[in-house]
This record gives sequence, C-alpha cells and structure tokens, in this order.
Amino acid sequence: MPVRILLISLLLAALSNAAAHAHAFLDHASPLVGSTVASAPREVSLTFTQNLEAAFSSIQVTGPNGARVDAGKPQISGNTMHVGLKAAGPGTYHVRWHALSVDTHKTEGSFTFSVGGR
Amino acid sequence: MLRFSSCSRAFALACLGVALSAGQALAHCFVGARFFPATLATDDPCVADEMSLPTVAWSKTGDVPAATEWDISADISKRITEDFGITIGDTWSNIHQPGGFTKAGFGNLDATVQYQLLKDGPHELALLVGLTVEWGGTGAIDSGLATPWSTLTPTFNFGKGFGDLPDSFGWLRAFAVTGQIGYQFPTRSFDVDTGTFIPQVLVYGGSIQYSMPYLKSEIHDYQLPDFINHLFPIVEAQFATPVANNFGNSPITIGTINPGVIWVGTYFQVGAEAVFPVNHASGTGVGFLGQLHFYLDDIFPTTIGRPLLGGSSAPPQQLKF
Repeated sequence: MPVRILLISLLLAALSNAAAHAHAFLDHASPLVGSTVASAPREVSLTFTQNLEAAFSSIQVTGPNGARVDAGKPQISGNTMHVGLKAAGPGTYHVRWHALSVDTHKTEGSFTFSVGGR
Repeated sequence: MLRFSSCSRAFALACLGVALSAGQALAHCFVGARFFPATLATDDPCVADEMSLPTVAWSKTGDVPAATEWDISADISKRITEDFGITIGDTWSNIHQPGGFTKAGFGNLDATVQYQLLKDGPHELALLVGLTVEWGGTGAIDSGLATPWSTLTPTFNFGKGFGDLPDSFGWLRAFAVTGQIGYQFPTRSFDVDTGTFIPQVLVYGGSIQYSMPYLKSEIHDYQLPDFINHLFPIVEAQFATPVANNFGNSPITIGTINPGVIWVGTYFQVGAEAVFPVNHASGTGVGFLGQLHFYLDDIFPTTIGRPLLGGSSAPPQQLKF
C-alpha cells in the first residue's frame, strides 16, 4: 500500500510541474474545411492549436486538375501557416499539411474545399 | 477495468471478471490524420506515454440481492522504444451487499508489454500485440478480490479509421473501429481451496467511435461549438468466454455494452460511459464508468513523455512536397 501511494504522489507532483506543449491540431482553416466559396481564394491559411516549427511544417494544395497550385514557400508564424495560390478556376481543391509543433510532436491532415459551387 | 466481482460467489464468473479487467494499457494514438482516444473499457491500438488516474466504475452484481461494487483503478504506460512499451496498473474495489458482506482491497497488480506492429497513416490502420501478466498474490487474496495465481493474456489489438473512404462518403469518414482479442491462461489449472477448475478464457471486445475533431479538420467544418468539436461519441463492448479447463463451472459468456462519450483536450481527456450488462451473470441494472486520462507525451515532451531508448517520438525531418 505505501508503495502505491508513493507512486501516485510522485506522478501527481510531476504533473503539477509540467510544461505546456502538445500536438498541433488544426484549429481552423480559410477557406473552411469542406466549404464552397464563390471564387478562388488567393491563399490557404491554417491555424493550429500550438506554435509550429517553421522548418519542418509544410502545406501542399492541388487544384481541380490535380496540379499543384500552391505558390512559393509557406509562410509560418506562431501557430499559423499560409501559402499563396495560383489561379486555377472552379472545382475541388485538395489541401495536405504536415505540422511539427515546437516540442517536436508531428501531426498531419488533409481536406478539400470547392470553388464555384460545382 | 470492469470487474465482475459478483463472482466472489461464483468462481467461474470471478475468473471471467479477472479476464475482463486485464489488458488495460491505454495509449495516445495518432495514425496519420486519425487520433484514436484512449478507450475506457477496452484498449486502443497504440503504445504511448500515458496515465489513467483515476478510472472509476460503479455497478451492481448479478447476485441476489445484488451487491454494489465500486472499482477505482490507475495505470501508467511508458514507451521503452518508439514501438515497445509497458503498462502497470492496479484496481481497488469495494463490494457491498445490503445486509450482507462488505469486501474492500486491491486486486492483483497487472503489467503489460506491447509492441506496435504497424501504423499505416494513409489507411488509418494500427496493429498491436501484447502480453498482460496479472501477478498472483499481489492483491487482497483474503477478501476474494485477488487470486494467489497469476494469469497470462497474449492479446492482439487493431484500430481502423474510415478516412480513406472516397470523399463521397462525407461525414461517414469520421467513423473508426477498434478491437482486441486475447487468450488468458492461468498459471494454475485447479484451485484447491474451492475445489474448482480455473478456466482458460477468451477475452474480446472493441469500440465504434465517431471523431468530431476529424469531422471538423478533415471533412467539413460546420463551425460547431468548440466543446462539441472535442467529442468522441463511442460505444464499447467487452466479453469473456471460458473456453477450456472449465469443468463444473458455468460456460456462460459475460460482458457489457457501454455507450458513452469522450472529451479530448490538449493534455488530457475525460470519458464517461453507461454500462449495460449483456446478461444477468454480468450484472444487474445500468452501471457507470468514468475516466480521467493524461497524455504524458504532451505534458512532458522532453522528459518522461519520450521513449527511454531511440530518441524522440517524432524525429524531425525536412518535409518536402
């Protein structure tokens, strides 16, 4: 019994002194995940629940014909990552992202949005 | 987790209860874009650095009159390498029968070693094998809450998310299933104190779960309230069936079906489930199961939240598209 209590006490003490870092989840995107927008956006912006390591986070966008439409290097600041888009017309766009939070936890995901109400 | 200790009166059921309580190795489980939360009654399909403290269960046994049972348990999981981990856990129980007995004490300590066979991100598929040892004689034997013999339970776990279905499946892609099957061997075949055989038991179960975080970040952001976007509605089921060395004992399968919900935060999750016994031998009435679960890899990312050997859980690598 004393061993059990000691172990639990140590764990609780350790928890109370914990630093605050975690996996970076996608909090919201612009355009919204799964949404339909009237005209092609000039950029895709992703906001995460944690700050990102810029060197190890990335985003890729493909247009309705399957070709890459992201333009240039993604801009990453704090918990936000965005990339400009080339004009590609109406249709379904696919966004793939990888994120490395500042404590080296890696997450990934993908989603689509549509342009032009197709 | 759930102990069918009504079985203090029915030996075979006691063994099945022990079987169902084995194998609670809970883990922080990312597979591609899919996150499998730590399930309450069964196990998820990953090794990780996590801790459940506490898990609380309340139920009424199948005895006449029914006894009330409280179980409070804790377990901690630690990765040794990226794919190999251990879990240690224990349960304190209190069983009270109106006008009758009250028993209280710890069950046997259990330890689990697990190896991650596969994590296939694109297909959101995870496979895991493990061995749970419940160490005989480490609990309250005199109260009937623990056995003097040990049990060994090799177990296979899987998890599969449906995010790889075509986009036309829409919101259905947020569903996932997990499952486990194990075979429990006691280290003794006969209990001389009660004069009964100790059965070998097949333990199995799983969950079907719906990920609101997945719906929001992968399929369609309906801009629901933040609280809703952290929920995993879930139904778990767990069963135990004696399959060998069960001479003279009841051959009946016991189990529960547990609908509930898990709220997932950044550093911890909270889960609550109703517990429906599948038959009278499994209990009476509707029980409750609740759990507070910590993600040690997120709370201690640079110390105990990392594998002991083999470096970081996520070695940085330059991502290129």
